[in-house]
Amino acid sequence: MSMNTIAVPKLDSVNVELVDPDTVKLKGTITKKEPAQDLDAFFKAVHREAVASRTPQVNVDVSELTFVNSSDIRLFVDWATWVKNESTHRYKLRFLTSRHITWQKTSFTALKSLMDGILSFDSSD
Amino acid sequence: METNSRSIAESQHPLVFMRFRPAWAYIDGIREFGRFFCETTFGTPELAERARVIIQETLENAVKYSSTSAEAELELLIKSDGNTIEFQVSSLPDAAHAQALLSELSGIHAQDPEAAYLAAFQRASDEPWASARLGIARMRYEGGVELSVKEEASGRIRVTATGKL
Repeated sequence: MSMNTIAVPKLDSVNVELVDPDTVKLKGTITKKEPAQDLDAFFKAVHREAVASRTPQVNVDVSELTFVNSSDIRLFVDWATWVKNESTHRYKLRFLTSRHITWQKTSFTALKSLMDGILSFDSSD
Repeated sequence: METNSRSIAESQHPLVFMRFRPAWAYIDGIREFGRFFCETTFGTPELAERARVIIQETLENAVKYSSTSAEAELELLIKSDGNTIEFQVSSLPDAAHAQALLSELSGIHAQDPEAAYLAAFQRASDEPWASARLGIARMRYEGGVELSVKEEASGRIRVTATGKL
């Protein structure tokens, strides 16, 4: 996968990084009023690239993403839904979480139950 | 998370009382104060995390629907009787939005918190353009509280989130 050409958004409260060819890392908090359009566009670009290059798995490290409001939790729901609805190449979406961060446990457990086989999550600690 | 808690008596003095203009920019700071306050006062990081969710989501709803009039300040109260914790947010919604706020909060007890949270995720996935009521479901499940709403004579609306300490 070649994500090098994708523009990484610069945001106030969250640091976004492409840490290796198939891993996105998010660090900080996301509490925007409307679901963050810049992050949505970035996730969509990563999704398109993963489909185009037939990447088997995209990793999203959220282990240092300490808080996300419910409007922005939808960003992850949308991403998993894009993969679910993909007809040409369906890759695995794997989240790297922290078991010490409550929102990750509750939200990714709920999302995995709806997207089993598409989404998985593992704890990094 | 258990949510079977009784409301705290109205006469009970609040541990926290804040009054401020309904601005989105204040929410992050007030949420983090609430987290710090709960962790420091009750000594439980788990309650502090629940407080973050409850304060963020109740204030977001209040700011989103607030009137722009001079009387539209929000109030946040945190109360406890030693067994129960209560978060109250009072706001003056714009008349056009008061009904929307009330309807978002109506019928919230129809499902148990976990089932309601899963259903909200399902709605968010099936209808990306529509409100999934994810915030309300999240407060009940992740925040471990039950919600009630009261219309007051002044046109203000008071949302109360009550849960076990």
